[in-house]
Amino acid sequence: MGFGRDSAIALAVLLVFILLEFTGLRSAGLVDFAIRFATFGLLALSLNLLIGSAGLVSFGHAAYFGMGAYSFGLLMQTGAWSVPAAIMAAVAMTALLALIIGALCVRLSEIYFAFLTLAFQMLLHSLILSWIGLTGGDQGLMGGIPKPPFLGVDLARQDHLAAFSLFCLVASAVALRQILRSPFGAALRMLRDNPDRAAFLGLSVFRYRLAAFVIAGSFAGLAGVLMSLYVSGAFPSFAFWTTSGEAIFMIMLGGVSVFLGPLVGAAIFLMLNDWITAVTEHHGLFLGIILLIIVLGLRKGLLDFAFEHWRARKGSQP
Amino acid sequence: MSTSKPAGLHRRRLIGAGTAAAITGFPNIGFTQARQPIKIGVPTILSGRVAQLGISSRNAMQIEVDAFNASGGLDGRPIELIVRDSRGVPAEAARLAREMISSDAVEFLFDAEPSSGGFAIHEVVRETGTVTLHINSETSSLTADPRQRFWNAFRVARQGIHDSIAGGYYAASVARSRNLRRWMTISPDYAYGRDTTAEFVEFARGFNADIQITGETWPRLFQADYTENITRLNQGRPQAVYSCLWAGDLVTFVEQASIFGLFAQSQLFAVNMADYTTLQQVRNLPRGVHSGNRYLRNFPPVPGNLAFATEYNRRFNTFPTNWSWQSATAVRLLTTALRQVGGTNPREVAAKLKGMTIESPFGAEGTVTMRAEDQTLVDYAIGWGTTISADPFVENMQKADWATIRRLEAEWKRGKGWG
Repeated sequence: MGFGRDSAIALAVLLVFILLEFTGLRSAGLVDFAIRFATFGLLALSLNLLIGSAGLVSFGHAAYFGMGAYSFGLLMQTGAWSVPAAIMAAVAMTALLALIIGALCVRLSEIYFAFLTLAFQMLLHSLILSWIGLTGGDQGLMGGIPKPPFLGVDLARQDHLAAFSLFCLVASAVALRQILRSPFGAALRMLRDNPDRAAFLGLSVFRYRLAAFVIAGSFAGLAGVLMSLYVSGAFPSFAFWTTSGEAIFMIMLGGVSVFLGPLVGAAIFLMLNDWITAVTEHHGLFLGIILLIIVLGLRKGLLDFAFEHWRARKGSQP
Repeated sequence: MSTSKPAGLHRRRLIGAGTAAAITGFPNIGFTQARQPIKIGVPTILSGRVAQLGISSRNAMQIEVDAFNASGGLDGRPIELIVRDSRGVPAEAARLAREMISSDAVEFLFDAEPSSGGFAIHEVVRETGTVTLHINSETSSLTADPRQRFWNAFRVARQGIHDSIAGGYYAASVARSRNLRRWMTISPDYAYGRDTTAEFVEFARGFNADIQITGETWPRLFQADYTENITRLNQGRPQAVYSCLWAGDLVTFVEQASIFGLFAQSQLFAVNMADYTTLQQVRNLPRGVHSGNRYLRNFPPVPGNLAFATEYNRRFNTFPTNWSWQSATAVRLLTTALRQVGGTNPREVAAKLKGMTIESPFGAEGTVTMRAEDQTLVDYAIGWGTTISADPFVENMQKADWATIRRLEAEWKRGKGWG
């Protein structure tokens, strides 16, 4: 069964990471990278549910990333919440926001949909900036985020946070994959390819798209929670369009049609970012050139390219 | 020296030492055995509109670090700076700080970010226990709010509240002598702009109750066109205008306001004008703009300050900024503590920094102190004067009185519940 196999792979990934501790191969740099990879990988993966499967290009996905980060941070700062309860509440709040915004957006398609999502994201960004009493305005949520240990997990420790972030990523990846394999996922793809036909067959275009929108938003909210744990705060830039842009970049780099494409894209994007930041101050120029080469050279994501190449070779064999 | 070492290394060391000698004028360098360098991480902004912040911080640090290394370092251990660009993104600043601590194994951090990134780094080092000197964050709450304090974080920067008290006192006395009653404000619409303006107004009115704020306008940060704001100011016909716009924004505003004739009817009090990057960029700098000192090589008028500016100018072909003197002071404080401790144990170094006083050309009275109670810098030179169109650009500097600043700062803290 697909689910069994996916879960086994996910568990194996986690185990490898945890066992690296005992081999001496796990450096502090790798631990840091694992946290950021889990965070941005999950953001890109959730966005690809909209772009790759539902054919809805959202420019406003960072709104849910920011919402997750701020909700979680504010709840933890009250001192009355445990980490798991605050995570669930933050994801629920983000889902509610996605439901409200999605209900207004998914009736539209293509460029109208894209721009309306962008508009709502900027509305949230403005709200974060202006509601200083709650959010800290442009200075972000200050004062740190308490991380009381739960079930033996101490998220104030980097290695625990890395393992926890990877757990969230692989659990979310397995869940998203199951969603895509389900009849619901098949319906989404049909809506993407031929919405008129799907509607004629009796599928509610609105409901299916709205469900996809809320699911994608919820997982982006979880990514936001991981981000706020990593930086011990939340900042308006989390809900800014550049964050959405980075998620779209990651998907373009890795590929839209292969499930793990966004994860590969996130890894490449982060490695490029770290490497370029370390060697030059002309960050934007170099990153832009590299992205141009990949996008114009391959004309598709890296994993899309590899997958098609592999399929073509397989097909040409006798 | 051992002759069995690779020639390349040998030559590189000689060149390095020679360069350091040339720079610092120490002809007799002991060729101490090269030992593990003391790594210091510097997350800052090196690209974009405020790249000058990171560049002028790094330049000043490098001058001081070279001098320290050339004089033997810490028992032969040189300091190595690892400077990286966060591009002004707070999350990126936090990442760089984390990675410098864990991957690069830096022992100390010089946080050269503005307040947004500074607070992000603050939270990181609250967890990691890395001794950190905040160099460019002027937001008062970073050290004034007791909830923000912990043993390993220090601020080596001027502080908003100190500038507001000094500026308020100066503005009140000028207002009294010239009968300036109607004031308006124009400041950038973000935390620093709002907080600094509110504090300035509070103190100016505290010193002179006749001052009335008849209007305010809040341009966006990095706004290109100030016509709308200048029109509001012109319509309000204030006798005086206060602004805490800074760098490129202040340059643009002053140039556009000159065209509209704003300064013919209103006195401008611009707290951030007296910094060379700003002063030299304004075409036709208006005479008589009141400004606080960000950095001026003739204030305080002491040889050490002039020597610092001359050396900086010789090496980088430009003049230091406010961020530069703060960075230089941070290096001097830390290296003094390292030598007094005789090692890099973080607890011992932090304990030594707490309450430390060092001689400084940037001090109001020749010294600066890392105040023990809130681990922030005090006694640095603060003054206000008026602009002239040619070097030295500012005249009639009046030095602020630290006894007054301390007294009013304590009252302000009590009012906030931070006393």
